[in-house]
Amino acid sequence: MAAVAVHQFAQCITCHAWSPDQSMVAFCPNNNEVHIYKLLEDKWEKVHVLQKHDQIVTGIDWSGRSNRIVTVSHDRNSYVWNQEGAEWVPTLVILRLNRAALCVQWSPRENKFAVGSGAKTVCICYYEQENNWWVSKLIRKKHDSSVTSVAWHPNNILLATTSTDGKCRVFSTFIKGVDTRESKTSSSSDSKFGEQIVQLDLSFSWAFGVKWSPSGNTLAYVGHNSMIYFVDDVGPSPLAQNVAFRNLPLRDVLFVSEKMVIGVGFDCNPMVFAADDSGIWSFIRFLGERKASSSSSKYGSQFSEAFGKLYGQSKHGLSNDTVEPSRAHGVVHENCINCIVPLRKEGPRTKRFSTSGLDGKVVIWDLENQEVVSDYL
Amino acid sequence: MAGVEKFVEADNAEAIITRIEHKSRKIESLLKQNKPVEALKTALEGSPPMTRDERCKSANWIVVHRALMAIKDVDGMFSSLDPEYYDILMKYLYRGLSTGDRPTCDQCLRIHEKLTERAGLGCILRSLADTVNTV
Repeated sequence: MAAVAVHQFAQCITCHAWSPDQSMVAFCPNNNEVHIYKLLEDKWEKVHVLQKHDQIVTGIDWSGRSNRIVTVSHDRNSYVWNQEGAEWVPTLVILRLNRAALCVQWSPRENKFAVGSGAKTVCICYYEQENNWWVSKLIRKKHDSSVTSVAWHPNNILLATTSTDGKCRVFSTFIKGVDTRESKTSSSSDSKFGEQIVQLDLSFSWAFGVKWSPSGNTLAYVGHNSMIYFVDDVGPSPLAQNVAFRNLPLRDVLFVSEKMVIGVGFDCNPMVFAADDSGIWSFIRFLGERKASSSSSKYGSQFSEAFGKLYGQSKHGLSNDTVEPSRAHGVVHENCINCIVPLRKEGPRTKRFSTSGLDGKVVIWDLENQEVVSDYL
Repeated sequence: MAGVEKFVEADNAEAIITRIEHKSRKIESLLKQNKPVEALKTALEGSPPMTRDERCKSANWIVVHRALMAIKDVDGMFSSLDPEYYDILMKYLYRGLSTGDRPTCDQCLRIHEKLTERAGLGCILRSLADTVNTV
């Protein structure tokens, strides 16, 4: 089975992140706190609660080398947490936003992080040694709506964003004194901070979840109209592919190799997309137990479930602990999956990853020995 | 300049209307030859979602409606209708349902059920989420 571990940590999880050695997991249980769990004697125990935000925490990222946690929240602020002894010490980062912060990601070199917000702006934050202070530089007036996701190119300069205006954009985030000349690639060598490299206008509805492939050659993002978009040659003349699928829309994506993408979303079951030898992307199969083949009864049951909800047969009465995993439709997650994080990288490939969602579970998946899938890894 | 653009748009609309009239005649002859699926394909092909002109949209809907109502065997239709038509067909089914006309709604619901089985909920989402290319 592809799902190797299922942890019911909370009623609902907005986002999660792993410590560098993956012995600890941080997540937000749909409130203003971040809980850190550690594996102690085969049991996951709560070891820290990070309390500083006033409102729901929407983004967590744990840097791999410097062991720092960055969190962002609807309260429009961000904190960088450093472990000092047994304590996690927060440093406030004033983002200068007038709307909620929605997502955050450390840059590959971990000297900057990017925050997407509901204020139609992206903040690029970096540490100023002389002032002992995190500075936030804004990319303004480029987005027409909330920024739902940010993704760093491996070169530490280019940043891709998706927005509820349906567009995916790529910016240069070159900051003097932080980035050096040699860290720039030829394609972005002339661009200043905040300069838009390309705007992709493929989706007619909200865009979510953007990621670069390990090499940075391909970009993938999803639309709220059950479409996924793959873009090669990101630059003046990008090559785009639109892939429509028959299921509910996706919320986030992850490249596990140059030729394979995992998409997660409202269908509660990770979907595998892969490119064939000619570079044509297509849907391969579901990663969970449910078969990709269609059946009318499936939709029948989904419709009757919806009617059931209309007539007040709400599922909220059930205690989450009593719900057996993989009971609903034979899949592991029982609600929308909104976060996917890679685990244990082996070179450019990711064989393990974890997902979390509105059902409060963190699920670890392994792609080893998965039929069809291993051909593309 | 605005006047010129308007003229071009109007001219364009005339051209589209002429094309739809031509399409309508072709559909009638296909229906006479008892080829309802071919007629539906013809109706769906080259439908003008990009134009803002409501006249064009209505004219094409009349043509699609004519072909849609002529479908008797829904399963048979899907065995020869290629998946590339699914998204645009779904949009027209919702247009049909919005008319509130009893026989039209009956027919659209019958096709909708089978189309959802084949094309999935994603197809419904694509037709509902797209507020730019309406039919």
